[in-house]
Amino acid sequence: MSEILVQLSEAIIDGNVEDIVDLTEEALDDGIPAQEVLNKGLMAGMDHVGAEFKAGNMFVPEVLRSAKAMQASMDLLRPILAEAGVKHTGKLLLGTVKGDLHDIGKNLVGMMAEGAGFEVKDLGKDITPDQFVSAIKEYQPDVIGMSALLTTTMRVMGHTIKALEEAGLRDRVKVIVGGAPVTQEFANQIGADGYAPNAASAAELARKLVS
Amino acid sequence: MQVRKNNYTVNMTPTMQVLTENQIEAIYYAALAVLSETGVRVYDKEGWDLAHQGGAVVEDVQADSALVKMPSWMVDKARATLPQRIRVIGTPDGDGKRKYNMDLYKNTMYFGTGSDTPFTIDPYTQVRRRATYKDVRNLAKLAEALPNVDFFMSLGITQDTAVGTYDRWQYLAMLEATNKPINITAVDIEGLKDQLEMAYIRLGGKEEWKKAPCFSLYNEPVSPLSHSEEVIQKLLFCADNDIPIVYTPCPLAGATAPATLAGLMVQALTESLFGIVLSQLRKPGCQVIIGGLMSAMDMQTAVYPYGSPEMALLSAGYTEITKWMRVPEYETAGCSDAKCFDEQACMEAAINISTAAMIGGNMIHDIGYIEQGLCSSPHMLVASDEIISRTKRILRGIPVNADTQALDVLDQVGPGGHFLGHDHTYNRFKTENWRSALTDRQVYADWETSGCKDYQQRVQERMVEILEADAAPLLEPKMYQELRRICELADARHKDEELDVQMFV
Repeated sequence: MSEILVQLSEAIIDGNVEDIVDLTEEALDDGIPAQEVLNKGLMAGMDHVGAEFKAGNMFVPEVLRSAKAMQASMDLLRPILAEAGVKHTGKLLLGTVKGDLHDIGKNLVGMMAEGAGFEVKDLGKDITPDQFVSAIKEYQPDVIGMSALLTTTMRVMGHTIKALEEAGLRDRVKVIVGGAPVTQEFANQIGADGYAPNAASAAELARKLVS
Repeated sequence: MQVRKNNYTVNMTPTMQVLTENQIEAIYYAALAVLSETGVRVYDKEGWDLAHQGGAVVEDVQADSALVKMPSWMVDKARATLPQRIRVIGTPDGDGKRKYNMDLYKNTMYFGTGSDTPFTIDPYTQVRRRATYKDVRNLAKLAEALPNVDFFMSLGITQDTAVGTYDRWQYLAMLEATNKPINITAVDIEGLKDQLEMAYIRLGGKEEWKKAPCFSLYNEPVSPLSHSEEVIQKLLFCADNDIPIVYTPCPLAGATAPATLAGLMVQALTESLFGIVLSQLRKPGCQVIIGGLMSAMDMQTAVYPYGSPEMALLSAGYTEITKWMRVPEYETAGCSDAKCFDEQACMEAAINISTAAMIGGNMIHDIGYIEQGLCSSPHMLVASDEIISRTKRILRGIPVNADTQALDVLDQVGPGGHFLGHDHTYNRFKTENWRSALTDRQVYADWETSGCKDYQQRVQERMVEILEADAAPLLEPKMYQELRRICELADARHKDEELDVQMFV
């Protein structure tokens, strides 16, 4: 494999935000196709990061720095990939549901998903079912992720899924849910497509749902 | 000689210190700087208008929120009317007396549980499941019986009641089984109003509430530096109705607060100071208890650790700040990240309870929490009661005077004698030595004969014994019906809001 791809991969693992743009440009200048830069450089690095994180050898701030490096490189690659008609991993729409201002977990999911190659649109917090509905129409995501920390606001996830059904959008997106009081059982009850107990597995789950 | 603290020993109490006075002042003045220069985001127009009328700068007004910056003199002014002492007294016994008195000021210390966990450990099967009305009532019964639990928080969400009105049912479940002071939670303002109405009924009128409230309200701004509409509205309602407010952020170092513990304390204090100022603008003398739960994110699992040494240390440091400010404080201990009542649970509770006790927090909550506050454990509650008792023995210290030095006794017994039969021993051993029925000190053969029971088994037996003990109902049937009616009326008003699916149980 090309030396530059190895360097890209290492830059991802090291979270080297400073050099990754130059390395990406160099790879493209060398005539390596954008798709190969993505798969054999960036994603190879992120796969390693994911494995090390799971094994307890890397920690959240380090993973986020890797994801940030990935994003910096993707900013260059995205238009080229789009032009070449290469499909990105997917679009993920995120929000903390109405009545809840807690968003640290949701933010973490967003950063992890970006690291997994998703294009992430984060609506923020206190998002009503109607806001989710119009955002889905506007951004056409593959997956939406809802978050809640409170048992009182958890039910808004159910209300939002109902609103998607009423708007005829339910079949067009996969719905994943999370947050401290949320369980798989609850996700099943409200008719979500998936639940993840933490941010890394949420990104993995989203990837599975779009593949 | 020490002349600090604690409601059961007036002096000579062993103490610990985390911060120097200079460090406390540095944190305090840093918080004033953040409040006036960075500001806080307020998601309630009534809240930011009130702050503005009181002298705050209001900037960046959006549809739902505004940035509020408070000059430091507003804090000085608010502190002049902020109560240094707050009393919450429990509900009356059959004889009409309210015997559980929580008198919060600089040198007093009370322990209590935590509230609103989605899960609990079943007392019999020891399986983790969603908490119900009956669980909250059972846990309140345990708290009522345990001598070192001074106030109660629900230790479970009553999830077999409607989601939008569960708070009233939860309060009823608690009132059924304990007369101790309660720190309640409320779904919204309406839930708070209903619970206040229930308290008036339980106390026999508003006048009795005015003498001393029987509950405080848990009210949590969202870190970093955000105050939701719900939180502000609750604060204003409490100010108007003489309800003590526990205004307590839960910042998490590295995630919702700076990674450094000092930075986290500056932020937490800024969040609480905003609550203090707003409360005093609404009503001078409004009763505010500040403090909180503070910890550092576990960077492997991204959870909020309740059993970490940083949690205990932050809690202790923050307590010193509140003592320096002379504002009643809400501290955290008796909690763990363990998933069941195991060695880790006991170790973490023992360390954070003893740290909280040595520093001398006012209202020390979260006894009985496991699983990062997502689950309550009746076993942990019973064990923590013993840990508190043990710690209180240490706090009693070693009085040193002519009498306790016992020179006359030493002289009488002399070299080679013994003290077992001496009156001095007979008269003192019970008060000098701590004992507990749960702690085992038998010799091996006796332990074997008594069934080889480990600590978990002994705690289990003690818990079941309390749960199954006959206890006269705390609520007369008529009183129960009156309180229940408020819950039912709330359900009737909200029946259209629930989902079709059975949400929790």
